Amino acid sequence: MSTTSSETTAIQREIAIAARPETVWEFLVDPDKAVRWMGRTAEMDARPGGVHRVEVISGNIASGVFVELDPPRRLVYTWGWETGSAAAEVPSGSTTIEIELVPDGDGTTVHFTHRDLPSAESAARHAHGWEHYFERFVAVAEGREPGEDPWLATGGMS
Amino acid sequence: MSAQDVLRALAEPRRPAILRLVRDEARSVGEIAAHFDISQQAVSQHLQVLRAAGLVDVRRDGTRRLYRVRPEGLVPLRAFLEELWDDRLDALKREAEREQRSRDEHDQQ
Repeated sequence: MSTTSSETTAIQREIAIAARPETVWEFLVDPDKAVRWMGRTAEMDARPGGVHRVEVISGNIASGVFVELDPPRRLVYTWGWETGSAAAEVPSGSTTIEIELVPDGDGTTVHFTHRDLPSAESAARHAHGWEHYFERFVAVAEGREPGEDPWLATGGMS
Repeated sequence: MSAQDVLRALAEPRRPAILRLVRDEARSVGEIAAHFDISQQAVSQHLQVLRAAGLVDVRRDGTRRLYRVRPEGLVPLRAFLEELWDDRLDALKREAEREQRSRDEHDQQ
């Protein structure tokens, strides 16, 4: 895990899979295969700018767009909550998921990075941050649209 | 306590409304109930859920119990995502390996 700045943070994982990169790749971009690991339902238009939308847990949909597709090596898409109260913290498309598939014999090493996440510390440290998040949090919990979050629009993705 | 608990705790529409009320000022159950058309007992139950999710704190003021928002309760997101991705990547491994085995068997036939 690494911290790129005091305002954002990343989650990194590495996992070895006994399947070829071509096979693993299909699980990333084919909705029928994606639902076997990502969530309950999936909608994927696997091309740059295409929609990526997964019901991760019941009633909680995460979505974004595909940014970079280099089959079967590298995939980048944006990600965030469309619904549920966590959408206040990480709205749709506000963070980035980057997946690299590196061949290892007949298998694949998957490098998974979820970056541009707002750090809890940065939000909690300042009263300003707290109020900012509170308003968005409660707005979404009450079922209203929180509006664009200028704090989260600095992740480098358009 | 996880972000999922937080999501669940806020699923009932009165609970975010209660949170808003105790955001800047600690309030008693009675004060909170005065803002809603529900009983003090119902408010107490909502506060219990919010407290269990780490969203409010309670302190004593004489005979009264005063509730107030707990700011750090709103930021367990990272822990939630770490747990989520660990779980999902394990599933990716399992499913991709199953798929690969089935293809390899098919190829051998």
